[in-house]
Amino acid sequence: MLRVRATFKKTGRAKYISHLDLNRCMLRTFRRSGLPIWYTEGFNPHPYYAFALALSLGFESECEILDFNITDDNMPLEEIRDRLNAVMPEGMGIVSVALQEQKITAIAKAEYSFSLVTDNAVKLMDDVNKLISGTEILIEKKTKKGIKTVDIKPDMEIITCEKTEDSVDIVMRLPAGTQTNYNPMLFAEALKNSGAEPFEAEKFVRRAILCDDDTIFK
Amino acid sequence: MELKDKIEKHLLEVQKPSRYIGGEVGSVIKDKSKIDVRFAFCFPDTYDIGMSHLGMKILYSLTNERENYWCERCFAPSEDFEAIMRENDIPLYALESLDPIRDFDFIGFTLQYELSYANILNMLDLAGLPVFAADRGDELTNIVIAGGPCVCNPEPLADFFDIFVLGEGEEVNLELIDLYWEMKQQGATKTEFLRKACHIEGVYVPRFYSFVYKDDGTIDHLVVTDGAPEVIRKRIIKDFDSVYYPENFVVPFTEIVHDRVSVEVLRGCIRGCRFCQAGFIYRPFREKHTDTICRETKALCENTGYDEVSLASLSTSDHSEIDPMLTKLIDYTAAERINLSLPSLRVDNFSESLLEKIKKVRKSGLTFAAEGGTQRLRDVINKNVSEEEIMNTCSIAFRGGYSAVKLYFMMGLPTETDEDIVGIADLANRIIDLFYSIEDRPKGRGVQISISCATFVPKPFTPFQFEPQDTREMIEHKQKLLLDSVKTKKIKVSYHDPNVSQLEVILAKGDRRLCKAIYTAWKKGCKFDSWEEYFNFGKWIEAFKECGIDTSFYANRRFEYDEILPWDHLDYLVSKEFFIRENKTAHKSVTTPNCRLRCSGCGVNKKVGRDCFC
Repeated sequence: MLRVRATFKKTGRAKYISHLDLNRCMLRTFRRSGLPIWYTEGFNPHPYYAFALALSLGFESECEILDFNITDDNMPLEEIRDRLNAVMPEGMGIVSVALQEQKITAIAKAEYSFSLVTDNAVKLMDDVNKLISGTEILIEKKTKKGIKTVDIKPDMEIITCEKTEDSVDIVMRLPAGTQTNYNPMLFAEALKNSGAEPFEAEKFVRRAILCDDDTIFK
Repeated sequence: MELKDKIEKHLLEVQKPSRYIGGEVGSVIKDKSKIDVRFAFCFPDTYDIGMSHLGMKILYSLTNERENYWCERCFAPSEDFEAIMRENDIPLYALESLDPIRDFDFIGFTLQYELSYANILNMLDLAGLPVFAADRGDELTNIVIAGGPCVCNPEPLADFFDIFVLGEGEEVNLELIDLYWEMKQQGATKTEFLRKACHIEGVYVPRFYSFVYKDDGTIDHLVVTDGAPEVIRKRIIKDFDSVYYPENFVVPFTEIVHDRVSVEVLRGCIRGCRFCQAGFIYRPFREKHTDTICRETKALCENTGYDEVSLASLSTSDHSEIDPMLTKLIDYTAAERINLSLPSLRVDNFSESLLEKIKKVRKSGLTFAAEGGTQRLRDVINKNVSEEEIMNTCSIAFRGGYSAVKLYFMMGLPTETDEDIVGIADLANRIIDLFYSIEDRPKGRGVQISISCATFVPKPFTPFQFEPQDTREMIEHKQKLLLDSVKTKKIKVSYHDPNVSQLEVILAKGDRRLCKAIYTAWKKGCKFDSWEEYFNFGKWIEAFKECGIDTSFYANRRFEYDEILPWDHLDYLVSKEFFIRENKTAHKSVTTPNCRLRCSGCGVNKKVGRDCFC
């Protein structure tokens, strides 16, 4: 049995597919491909596949991870990729297929880019800098137990922060994986709450899924 | 800003955004510059419901087979998105191109149920089009047409549409589009096109017909102008086995009501239940061969990736090859790990061997449409099911491990008395007794009977088209009586809102004078009337009052046999004489055997020019 790890993209119109719907969509994609995917052997057998991380509705990505098993040991990985790509919905596609190397628990963080579109980019840039250089960035996070206030500052890494004519474009890394997950929209929210220049946060993209040592998860 | 950008700017603010942006697997994208005729197939309800509609899937694929025609889908937006559309000047658009439907040649609606009528007006308005046909000008474009079962009495919508298509659309739709394209190239006007189109069999152009009424409000006579035919006959597909069936469906991202492959196994019905409109308007009975059904099932499962198939028909077990068909289908679905669901199975031919096969594929509840609580009443409505048969079937089912039974009934049927209502509870009690008398019944579980009670709605083109509906007071009395007659928690009773059924009958049996009332109700904000949370009967009543319409004239009055009915100029192949004969037979509590046992002379075979079974 091949333990396969596929990297797939979810771009364009496909960004409006919710995580729950993506699950169903992937099941049907596998069925259309006719690939010999391994089924669970329980009371109600179903094809086994798992997403490493959920992607928020409206986010684009070219680095999403999907694990599944193929029962034919001799199937070339390129064939798996091509057969899935032939039946994927618009905006989605397999970027690459490899065998699983690391455990899912090795995922520690993810890198995101997004744009804060505004009428006054100079002022907004100042506001962003003020927020970043402060002692803490408090956000309200919904958890199963209710709303809890957390400080994302210690775990947040700003990679780039650039001003354009009508926006401030940010690339940042935030904790992701089985333990802690922070959504970059929370940063935008904190910025709004800090009384910053009005803006609209858009073009959220997940750029990479990373391990603790900043290497790409494989 | 392009429309697509405008839509995307707000899409994340609404529930289930993937419903509004297209891009699904199986959707057909064409190069606009190479298209001659654009057709917007509109379903007057939300995506979740409309995407489940089989007729749309068939006609969508069929039209798109033609290289120079492009058929796209369009649905009613939910309230949240409608507000955004109106606020930001986003006109109603089709999901494939995201182009406004007001730029389309045809805007086609399917009329599946009366309570969606207000949505049609709302969608035309959202599209930026005048809702009244007379206000849309004479240029040859924006032909607003409708098909579907409610077209058998389209009069309450006559002022809003250019064309109604009667019967099955697989052939006539393309004939209509072909004529349009031919005349469009010649520079014809809309009127010129309609004058020609009305001579295609199945095409009804309401503006060429007008009604003259008597003092008592009934119809005196019909005036036909522009050389249109006196009678419009519905279209049928003669060779049903080889009729076009799609090899692919659009596969939605979000969950829809019927989220599975649907394969049509037969059309029409042999049963002749006297309340059932579908049982008459889809005649004659025609079926597909087992091999065709299996081939279509396989193609659709492979192309869509669905892992569930359902067989579509009015009564699947009436298929002459039901046993070999199910055996062959189950062989395929079991090997491919596909679930097969079989709605529309009847009580009386539910054999033990059939149940065994079904048990292999699923184990959900059993549902029986008993319709009437006593044998006398079941004879009146020609539901040829005896209590013995119901008991036999339940007995087989209980031994097979079932412990929940759902029973459908109607309330307010012609000749119904209190005894018939009490009979519903009695029947349920006897099923409970039967359960406990069976030695090998499922252990550790009690029996659960769910009674679902709808209010009877007399419909055009049925033997009961002449019947009045019970008044609300009568229905409320009967509902209370039923609740009082049920004395155990093993029986659960649910019933419909009688106001909904009243609106349904008014719209179903109404005439052209209702157009302005529907317009007024929509103006007052009525829409999504089939959704409990939106239904506002008070506004409808206000609208009827303002338009001077006496609702009881349509709902609670007996229509006379010799009266000209609003749908008498439409020919659905079954003769009015037959309906009168069946109505009289019903009032004598006498049944009529099903079509396979004996031809009851409904007239279809004569008009089609061949026997129904050959």
